[in-house]
Amino acid sequence: MTLNVKVFRFNPETDKVPRFDTFKIEEFPNMAVLDVVMNIQNYHDPTLAYRCSCRIGMCGSCAMYINGRPRLACRTQVSSLGTKDITIMPLPNLPIIRDLAVDMEPFFEKYKKIKPYLIPKQDLKEPVICKPDSGERELIDYMLECITCGACYGACTMVATDPHYLGPAALTRAYCLIADKRDAATRERLVIVEQSEGVWRCHTQFNCAEVCPKKIVPTQAIQQLKKRCVFKRLGLFRG
Amino acid sequence: MEEIKTDILILGSGGAGLFAALHAYDSNPRLKIVLATKGLIGKCGCSRMVQGGYNVVLDPKDSVELHFKDTIKGGAFINNQELAWTLVNDAPKRIYEMETKIGCFFDRREDGRIHQKPFAGQSFDRTVHRGDLTGIEIIARATDQVFARDITVLEETRGLELLTNSNGDRVVGALLMNIRTGQFIVVKAKAVIVATGGSASMYKISAPSFDKTGDGMAMCWRAGAEFVDMEMLQFHPTGLLAGKSRLSGSVLEEGLRGAGGRLYNAIGERFMERYDPERLERSTRDRVARAGYMEIMAGRGTPAGGVLLDMSHLGAEFVESKFPGMCERVRDIGKDLAREPVEVSPTAHFQMGGVRIDVNCYSSLKGLFVAGEDAGGVHGANRLGGNGIADSTVFGARAGDAAAEFAQSQDWVPVDQVQVKMFTNNVLKFFGHADGPDVYQLRDELKNLMWEKVGVVRTGQKLEQALKRLAEMSEEVERAKLPTGSLRGYNLALNEILNLRNQLVVAQLVAASALYRKESRGSHYREDFPETDNQNWLCNIFMRKKGDGYFIETHPVKFTRLRPEDVAAK
Repeated sequence: MTLNVKVFRFNPETDKVPRFDTFKIEEFPNMAVLDVVMNIQNYHDPTLAYRCSCRIGMCGSCAMYINGRPRLACRTQVSSLGTKDITIMPLPNLPIIRDLAVDMEPFFEKYKKIKPYLIPKQDLKEPVICKPDSGERELIDYMLECITCGACYGACTMVATDPHYLGPAALTRAYCLIADKRDAATRERLVIVEQSEGVWRCHTQFNCAEVCPKKIVPTQAIQQLKKRCVFKRLGLFRG
Repeated sequence: MEEIKTDILILGSGGAGLFAALHAYDSNPRLKIVLATKGLIGKCGCSRMVQGGYNVVLDPKDSVELHFKDTIKGGAFINNQELAWTLVNDAPKRIYEMETKIGCFFDRREDGRIHQKPFAGQSFDRTVHRGDLTGIEIIARATDQVFARDITVLEETRGLELLTNSNGDRVVGALLMNIRTGQFIVVKAKAVIVATGGSASMYKISAPSFDKTGDGMAMCWRAGAEFVDMEMLQFHPTGLLAGKSRLSGSVLEEGLRGAGGRLYNAIGERFMERYDPERLERSTRDRVARAGYMEIMAGRGTPAGGVLLDMSHLGAEFVESKFPGMCERVRDIGKDLAREPVEVSPTAHFQMGGVRIDVNCYSSLKGLFVAGEDAGGVHGANRLGGNGIADSTVFGARAGDAAAEFAQSQDWVPVDQVQVKMFTNNVLKFFGHADGPDVYQLRDELKNLMWEKVGVVRTGQKLEQALKRLAEMSEEVERAKLPTGSLRGYNLALNEILNLRNQLVVAQLVAASALYRKESRGSHYREDFPETDNQNWLCNIFMRKKGDGYFIETHPVKFTRLRPEDVAAK
């Protein structure tokens, strides 16, 4: 079977407008969109620019806009698209370096704003004892699978309309730390996320959850944060 | 040309690079630290891809002596015992650091303490993990901590060459290239830590991330550092087979065998009964990988050239709950790991050999520190599953501490501009090559050549053939073409040429050392010398550059803590 692949091409330094190049690519079994992209670059047009690393959905380097939706190229099977016509574009809401490679800096700038690193409590000297069924970890554990690929950021309509909005991934990380009993900077982070560019920008459209390759629901984290922000304003927040 | 002056330059952002950065900074926050990484920070390299977990002694019933013994036995007794001893002793410190300072949270047992799962080749269940995708947690949290510190991070910036003084015995910095712009950067550094990972990607079926092409090893070699046991390259027994898809070769984690997974050949025999009746599938990686390979070569493989990994007898619910990441990946190729056998093949995975270091990661060149897979000696002839990420974090941390101490007592050494010019010309020349060999064809040829001639089963004749062709290819890659009108920035074809140049250096070291070792041991199997020869080969093979060729010699292993007879006696 032959795939008809349209690939977005743009060099911001030399091109006034982007263009699409089309390629006919032979499909093979188990082919992922990343295979398609690599096939084009290796054997058809070596000037194509894209980014990938691990190719097994662990590094989050290859998020692209594939047939109208942000997805990890390595985890998107061609057969799952239900069509032989594939359009590949760079991840939305981020500046383009070249072709399919975007500059992740704005995404990580926001990620850094919420202080994404554990600030341990002073008495934390050894691994905490925490029974799996204790509920102490709330929703944190499954959210730790976030690979910061930016798919949620590319899908979020609120990010698209407000370039200062922290976005789903940064807020999810903030929740994971705020709910973490080992962390000493809970209030500090709540002050950051309760700003107008923080949790209140989320309009619970679940776009982020729909595209997350790790099946995380950032909306859930954001609602948890909203609850805490309200409690904090009411003077009822303990933590 | 951009120039940066720094106390410490770190190349690589896997476990070794990140822990080096954190430890160097925390040793002395006034030091200037630059961390350059080929991809995005924490996303490239293989630490991020760690699935199974991290071997560490936490349980009072376990002991570092046992972990040490497992590591030495697993390494077929040619490990550098002081490095292995350091590994097992520092591993608990690093896990404590991760849980209390860095922010990692590993899976817990019912009583709330850290859970440790069974892995192959070990006498105790000591593998700490976060589900079956452990690397995400370790590397993402360590990256977060880098963000908390004043460490300069250069993303999508690759190391090209180490810079040396006129005597060639002191590393004074490195020449880098910003991949996005194609511009060069000269970094003048008191200490350089190389932690870019190995070159197993040079095999047709291989596990590593695509960006990992032995760059650090090749740079260290060209700069004149001494190497050890380069013939020792591990094949992981259970690489997923998925045809031409890039998923092929990706590892289905060790814990599957640890939990009781079984391996069958195409005629339904549980073949490990013949190769290691006692430990069966829980034998060490070298043995299981070779057994699988032998079955395939004997015509008892599947049509696609694999054997079958079967988990179904353990119950679908168990498999799905313990190995969700593995199930999900296998589902991508339309198979159900929890309910049916899945085709696997040995896959090139990890290099035990590498730059010779001491316990503080000093190499044979002053100012050059090496940690993680780029360094050799910790694992001997075969690495235990779960000792890899332990190695990167333990020795990364030590490299960071040592380099910080070193940098405080040293001054910068001037960079030789003639050397810089020679190195930049050696990259820029490709823009003048409108015609010449195609780098992707050469790369594909290298992968096939290594698989067939320097693979799981080797012979002197095949290795000689490989060395001859590798030498020719090293000349051909220097003439490789770039499309006319190629831009300097984000030029993936140029980067592939530079990758291939480095892979060819490492490939030749592996093949040359493999030819030299006339016995079979651990991951190194010679069909023409199938026995392990303890009379003559309880030795390490050392190599260093000499003119355009190399100098090679052996030294007996120093049994500073454990002798082979100590283990055999029991």
